[in-house]
Amino acid sequence: MLDTIWQRLDHGARLALPFVTTLLCALLSTVTWPLPWFGAIAPPLGLVALYYWSLHRPDLFRPSMAFAIGLLNDVVNFLPLGLSALLFVAAHQLVLRQRRFFAGHSFFMMWIGFALIATLVMLCEWMALGLIRWQWVPFVPPLMQDILVIVIFPLPCWLLIGLQRVALTQE
Amino acid sequence: MPIRLHSTRPSQRWDYVHAVPWRVLSHRFSFVFFAALAFGLLVLGRVQPMVVEGARTHILDGLTPVLDAIARPMSIAENVTTTVKSYLALRGENEKLRADNAQLKQWQTAVMSLQHENRELHNLLHFKIEPGFAYITARVIADTGGPFVRSLVITAGKLDGVREGMAAMTGDGLIGRVIEAGDWSSRILLITDLNSRIPVTITGSGDRAILAGDNSASPKLYYLPQDTVLPPGARVMTSGHGGVFPPNLPVGMVQDLGHNTYAVVPAADLGRITYVRLVDFNLKGGAFNPLSAKMQAETKKR
Repeated sequence: MLDTIWQRLDHGARLALPFVTTLLCALLSTVTWPLPWFGAIAPPLGLVALYYWSLHRPDLFRPSMAFAIGLLNDVVNFLPLGLSALLFVAAHQLVLRQRRFFAGHSFFMMWIGFALIATLVMLCEWMALGLIRWQWVPFVPPLMQDILVIVIFPLPCWLLIGLQRVALTQE
Repeated sequence: MPIRLHSTRPSQRWDYVHAVPWRVLSHRFSFVFFAALAFGLLVLGRVQPMVVEGARTHILDGLTPVLDAIARPMSIAENVTTTVKSYLALRGENEKLRADNAQLKQWQTAVMSLQHENRELHNLLHFKIEPGFAYITARVIADTGGPFVRSLVITAGKLDGVREGMAAMTGDGLIGRVIEAGDWSSRILLITDLNSRIPVTITGSGDRAILAGDNSASPKLYYLPQDTVLPPGARVMTSGHGGVFPPNLPVGMVQDLGHNTYAVVPAADLGRITYVRLVDFNLKGGAFNPLSAKMQAETKKR
């Protein structure tokens, strides 16, 4: 009986891994890093995790989760509530549609796929924010952030690959 | 719609054929549902901003312990780095501090004499002394906003006496103001943010201007009197106009950008803020201070 409970808990924790790691990545991007001016260009690690899990375990990473992470991103980053939520849900859907193209080939293809998705999300966010606030929003900081997240993509991605191999191989 | 079968085992193939349409339908429905929900929230935020802002403050309050837990290792890492650096530079720093100390002692003598003179003159003129400031100190747990917003989240809220509109400072100068106050967390909009507007005055010339952020490291000075020429390096202080900030809080130094445009280099190092002080300048005025009463009425109205 006890074994069954522990087994179920273990199973549940493994299934919750994609959501929990994405949540942690999203929060990690917002905390104060011991690097000057890093806050303005801190890479959106939540988007990396969202992309990775949408590609590799869409059965464990649903649109509701993309919505929740996006909403949290809006709350913490003081963006109009619903903006990142909408973009994250749309990005999740886009990744699912192009799944065979991004995931079926090599790591390099996956990287290119992420670069496209991250740039698209950044452009949409920048344009939507400008329209909602009806003011010119400087373009250089989001561009710098986009470049940085594309460059560092392999690092969080390899960590997620390792995590998937360790925890989700038998699921 | 053609369905590709991956499995060769008959039982699995049977499950797959039956499962796919339901899964696809459910997935499409949930995508449409959550996209519509997010869009609805965006519209609600425009139509009923207070409802959305209230929800945002509560969610941020709930997230504060998690953010705090994630921020602590970063804070410890920074402390360790600072300690190691200061040990390495101990000798040089000691010599610099000795020189500073000698200079400060001279200043102390001058200040004491000026303070005495000032008090005497106040007595002679029956000058009404401004109420003193009270400070609330808090730790920064999140450097939020990414590339679009310049804001910080701190570990002090309404329960600690934080109110919206309070000025936020470091030891060096003004960094921003409180725009959201939850029960135990608050958000500070930095002076560099695109939506920050602060009435300031230039010491020496006494010119007044509005300091407006543009998401860059140096906010710009607007609405200066026509043909004003400011000396680079002139000190910029809050003017106290509008009743939001107390007057004479140091903000930064003037930087000439050419073509009659000026920026301000903030006195505080906005790139690395770990602790902030919130200035409660209405504390002693209390209910009898007309400004405080006006602000409270405005807050209630909002």
